[in-house]
Amino acid sequence: MKKFFWIILFLFAAGCVACTHTGGLSKPASYSFTIDIPEGWRKIDNNRYLFVTKESPFLQYIMVQNRPIGRSFRNTKKKIQKEMLPEEAAQIIIDELISDQNLVNLRILDNTPATIKNYEGFKILYTYSDSEGQTYKTLYYGFIKEDTFFNLRFTAEGRIYFQRDIGVFRSILNSFQIIKADAA
Amino acid sequence: MRTATLINPAKMDTVRSHFLFYLPCLLFIVLATSCSTHSKPEVSLVSDALLTNEDEQMLWQKSEQEQLAFESNGLIYPDQELEDYLNQMVAKLRPQSAPQDLVIRVKVIKNAYLNAFAYPNGMIYIHTGLLARMDNEDQLAAVLAHELAHCTQRHALRAFRKYKDQPAVLIAVQHTLLKTRGLQDMARFLGITGAMAAISGYARELEAEADRLGIELMTAAGYNPREALFLFDHMITEIKQEGLEEPFFFGSHPKVQQRAENLQKLLDPVYSNIKPAIKNREIFFSKLAQLFLDNARLDIRLGRFQAARRGVEKFVWIKPDDTRAYFLLGEIYRQRGQASDTHKALKNYNRAITLDPNYAAPHKAIGLIHYKKGHRALAKKFFESCLQLLPDAPDKAYIQGYLKQCALSEEG
Repeated sequence: MKKFFWIILFLFAAGCVACTHTGGLSKPASYSFTIDIPEGWRKIDNNRYLFVTKESPFLQYIMVQNRPIGRSFRNTKKKIQKEMLPEEAAQIIIDELISDQNLVNLRILDNTPATIKNYEGFKILYTYSDSEGQTYKTLYYGFIKEDTFFNLRFTAEGRIYFQRDIGVFRSILNSFQIIKADAA
Repeated sequence: MRTATLINPAKMDTVRSHFLFYLPCLLFIVLATSCSTHSKPEVSLVSDALLTNEDEQMLWQKSEQEQLAFESNGLIYPDQELEDYLNQMVAKLRPQSAPQDLVIRVKVIKNAYLNAFAYPNGMIYIHTGLLARMDNEDQLAAVLAHELAHCTQRHALRAFRKYKDQPAVLIAVQHTLLKTRGLQDMARFLGITGAMAAISGYARELEAEADRLGIELMTAAGYNPREALFLFDHMITEIKQEGLEEPFFFGSHPKVQQRAENLQKLLDPVYSNIKPAIKNREIFFSKLAQLFLDNARLDIRLGRFQAARRGVEKFVWIKPDDTRAYFLLGEIYRQRGQASDTHKALKNYNRAITLDPNYAAPHKAIGLIHYKKGHRALAKKFFESCLQLLPDAPDKAYIQGYLKQCALSEEG
């Protein structure tokens, strides 16, 4: 029942839009980046993020977002600012995660500097459980470019699917390109 | 839509039966939440002995399941001494007339939001966030007595009986759940009975009854009921100042305002001559000292810097030489980043280092301030001293990156 409830909420939150099978180069109109979506993965997008899954978001998903800096987060009142160091931006993401009541037993396994397509950023690896006890693992990359905070994250069920699909995430990360928003 | 593939068809019967249980419960929450603006039947008193009826047994059973589920998720603040103190206070407040077999217990939830709530089976939870806003034992007594009254008057059962036979308004349920994001989260997190107590509160008349009885209980136990007003006024100011938008009962401006107005009306005619009594500020502060600091860390994460500062200052009042407190004050100012905050941050970091020269964290923080200002030589000195003190610092990779940049600046 709870899962059913959350599926409904998830679909509502995702906007239930454009749930189509896609492959190849993706250039969603409102995004200032492109990624290659592998065959067999489905894209759900709205004007806030690009969301890709293979079987189901409860098993794995990849989310890519170009977030204007200064936009509020859901829990913390802190905001990412243009002049922040990657470590400071990473700390805000961690603060947001720790303050999120949906993430039970959150453990930050790694928080280190990372370079994403020549941009200095950060990488966070963490695990958490949902209220049903299902464990998930997330690899989260982020960096600031001018007035935009880009983030790419891969979340999957921790026992099997994270390891199975991490390669797909890496290939999407490699295919990630920033383009001007008006060229998207 | 592929949602059908996500549900095991074999479980559909169970799903349906659960749905039949949850639907009235959801309705119950929604109607209980909105009832203050609708005409409604009387909420009848319950005179039966405890647990003699199926509906009350079901509510208790559900409560126990929900408590087990969320307590096992590591949300309880682990401080046995504090828990004992709170339970002693509740024992002092408990009325003689309370059902003998109703066991009242209090636990603390590690959460910076302002809230306290009671389950029908006598379990009261209070958030670190609400405790950290209090100044003395009288204020704590006010909140505990209010929650205690919900238990002894069996408000959950009375509300359930009132609304269970109301016509199903599924659209209203969906609308309320979907528009109130916090309610979605917390309904899942606390379960149905907990969500009602924690988020929506009870019907206005039941809350008013809890206010009235709460004052009687705290006065009978020797506490000053006027302190309740000070607490609620303080909370209203903070909710406004910090622009808090919390899903919880005590974090919601209209509901706290309602508590304050109720109390004012009750206090004026009857309790105007009550002299300040227990307060127990020293005992209260000593029992809650660590909580003030721990909750300040949560407030810093939430970006509630003013609340965090007040929490740390309360801790310092009890422990004026604790290096962690000064480091946290430094963090508050550095992260807040307003004019003159850098100076205040440095002052507090330096105080922390003076109190404990081997504490690595303030060295790193001072290094960061200098690094961002472009004072690379100074930054290098502090980053190096940080790594000397803590060679396996969890943020070692970042610090090494800064040192590399400092070295490049020197070469340049």
